[in-house]
Amino acid sequence: MLEARRNLLAVVLDTLVPASAGFPGAGAIALDHVLAAAAASPEVDALLSDGLSAVDDAARAAGGVGLAPLGQDDRERVLRRIEQSHPAFFDSLVRCAYDGYYSHPTIVARLGLDPGPLHPRGHRLAPEEPPDLARVIARGPIYRRA
Amino acid sequence: MAADDRTDVLVIGAGASGAAVTWRLAGAGVRVVCLEQGDWVDPRAYPHWRADWELHRHTDWSAEPNVRRLPQDYPVNDTGSSISPLMYNAVGGSTIHWSAHFPRFRPSDFRVRSLDGVADDWPIDYATLEPFFDLNDRMMGVAGITGDPAYPPKSARQTPPIPLDTLGATMARGFDRLGWHWWPSDSAILTRDYDGRRACINCGPCDLGCPTGAKASTDVTYWPKALALGARLVTRARVREITLGPDGLAGGALYFDREGRLHEQKAHTVVIAANGVGTPRLLLNSRSARFPDGLANRSGLVGRNLMFHPYAMVRGLFDERLHGLRGPLGCSIISQEFYETDLSRGFVRGYSFQVARGLSPIASATGGSVGDRVPWGREHRRHYDTRFDRTLTVAVIGEDLPEPENRVDIDPTLTDGHGIPAPRVSYTLSENSRRMLDHGIARAREALEAAGAREVAVNPLLRAGGWHLMGTARMGRDPATSVIDPEGRCHDVPNLYIVDGSTMVTCAAVNPTSTIQAVALYVADGIVRRRS
Ligand SMILES: Cc1cc2nc3c(=O)[nH]c(=O)nc-3n(C[C@H](O)[C@H](O)[C@H](O)COP(=O)(O)OP(=O)(O)OC[C@H]3O[C@@H](n4cnc5c(N)ncnc54)[C@H](O)[C@@H]3O)c2cc1C
Repeated sequence: MLEARRNLLAVVLDTLVPASAGFPGAGAIALDHVLAAAAASPEVDALLSDGLSAVDDAARAAGGVGLAPLGQDDRERVLRRIEQSHPAFFDSLVRCAYDGYYSHPTIVARLGLDPGPLHPRGHRLAPEEPPDLARVIARGPIYRRA
Repeated sequence: MAADDRTDVLVIGAGASGAAVTWRLAGAGVRVVCLEQGDWVDPRAYPHWRADWELHRHTDWSAEPNVRRLPQDYPVNDTGSSISPLMYNAVGGSTIHWSAHFPRFRPSDFRVRSLDGVADDWPIDYATLEPFFDLNDRMMGVAGITGDPAYPPKSARQTPPIPLDTLGATMARGFDRLGWHWWPSDSAILTRDYDGRRACINCGPCDLGCPTGAKASTDVTYWPKALALGARLVTRARVREITLGPDGLAGGALYFDREGRLHEQKAHTVVIAANGVGTPRLLLNSRSARFPDGLANRSGLVGRNLMFHPYAMVRGLFDERLHGLRGPLGCSIISQEFYETDLSRGFVRGYSFQVARGLSPIASATGGSVGDRVPWGREHRRHYDTRFDRTLTVAVIGEDLPEPENRVDIDPTLTDGHGIPAPRVSYTLSENSRRMLDHGIARAREALEAAGAREVAVNPLLRAGGWHLMGTARMGRDPATSVIDPEGRCHDVPNLYIVDGSTMVTCAAVNPTSTIQAVALYVADGIVRRRS
């Protein structure tokens, strides 16, 4: 049962953020984050369970044996129906999926950033010339004397 | 109940204003005790030390107490407000989270009634506060450049300005093309080592705290000095109410310690520095036969005239990468082109543009302050890649006018972890503010397009934008129309002072903390003068 929920969730996540342009899909990357969020909160867990059941039902009603065998377009059609019928579930799932995906070191590195902690490394910036403010200064004071 | 020794001055709240006042009083040899409901923040606890730092912005490091829900937080019922109040409860107060954008109010901001016929004049002016602005700048450490024609000449800034970098320079070009004012932000963020603190390493998210100590949160500026001067700071000490003696003077405060035990701290003088929501809450919870409607509230104005700065967010999308993840998040440049009143624009008073940095990886997906989530599905990657590190947000920060219906009062049922009644916030954006923001949105769009943006997205009013909490115990000469006098003393209780954001008569169109702290130092100076 748990395994089935996990597999379905992975397929849903891959539909939300499919593998593309050298980026892996969210099924591999964000799954643990979404499951951890559900494990940390009974409300989130219940929302997730209900939502996934609805996805499964909708996928079967669409003529298949579930979401996994469908192609990306058909999966998207199923999920768009669920987005309408279960807005709270869907909204929090997308939010959580994006959180998990875009905080994962693999994705952060793929975006061209250093995936480690920001501190103490920070960012090195090239020294700047003082900005040219001559035009702004030339206008003279723009405040009201009071 | 344990009773502590009577002290000269009791300060309630260890944030921006409480720290400044405590330091000034301790330096004058006054015995000061400060009670703070939060704790010290260990710089190693900031999310910057973790690879998943960004996740913490919406959980344990959220600026919203209702999201964060730490034991030292109190809940705020904000369902009747179009803006959510943000704050932090710790040594350093909300400066732990702040972006340290550090503009001053302008001279005209203290003369709103005389110049524009709205709201009220302050009973003090820019010239009176100027030495305190300067003193506060030295204590906090300000990066910037003097010579801004939007202000009277200022004293030298402590360090050079924060870097414009690609993003700031791009926007400056837009303002230049239109012939509009812009200037590198005055920021309380060190760009060189100063006063024993280290320079900024440009890591980015100042809103999650600053592990370097370059950002001037008062736990690293005023507090070490105040403690060295002998001030006593009691943390995890939550004040329930201010006590009143038979003489009608404040006698001290009742507070819960970290074990939940009730104490009384007696004092000759009490100074409240609990911020624009915490201060009216405390006064309204301090009821007695003499003050059945809340302490120092004969005017009925405690909690009223709440001002936020309403913010509209206007985000431009550019073709090139802007490197917007490096450098202090909240500041790069500011424009005050539309600051002073021009009635032909359809509203009174004005606004500033603040140019923030870019969107971090998660915020790029969720839309950040504009909230336009990148679509999911097949199109996701293309949309995301078009947006990531190619956006620049111009914040329109408008001057709110004081209105009595916008207020903090006590929620009939909600309480904090100690059972103390919690505040309720009611706030509606006024017609004047709406017109002002709409004007700002249109002008920001123009500026972004002039800078090269090919698309512009707008959030007409940022809900999670209640950074500035002001006006709820306003200063004035007339006890019927104000809570404190021009010296910061409550009209109704002469040994009770207020120094935080609630003192503000009007809120100007810039971030308030530089001015809040200058007022706090000015009030402290008066307390010292009157004692000698
Ligand atoms: C995310 C964020 C970004 C910001 N960015 C900027 C910026 O760039 N520039 C700017 O000028 N301003 C900014 N601000 C606002 C700035 O932080 C505040 O204006 C400033 O801190 C207000 O100072 P204060 O002394 O009024 O209150 P605070 O600094 O909020 O301090 C109040 C203190 O009182 C304590 N307290 C309250 N009630 C009690 C009680 N009953 N018992 C004991 N202690 C109590 C609180 O725990 C808190 O520590 C920002 C704020 C936030 C949240």
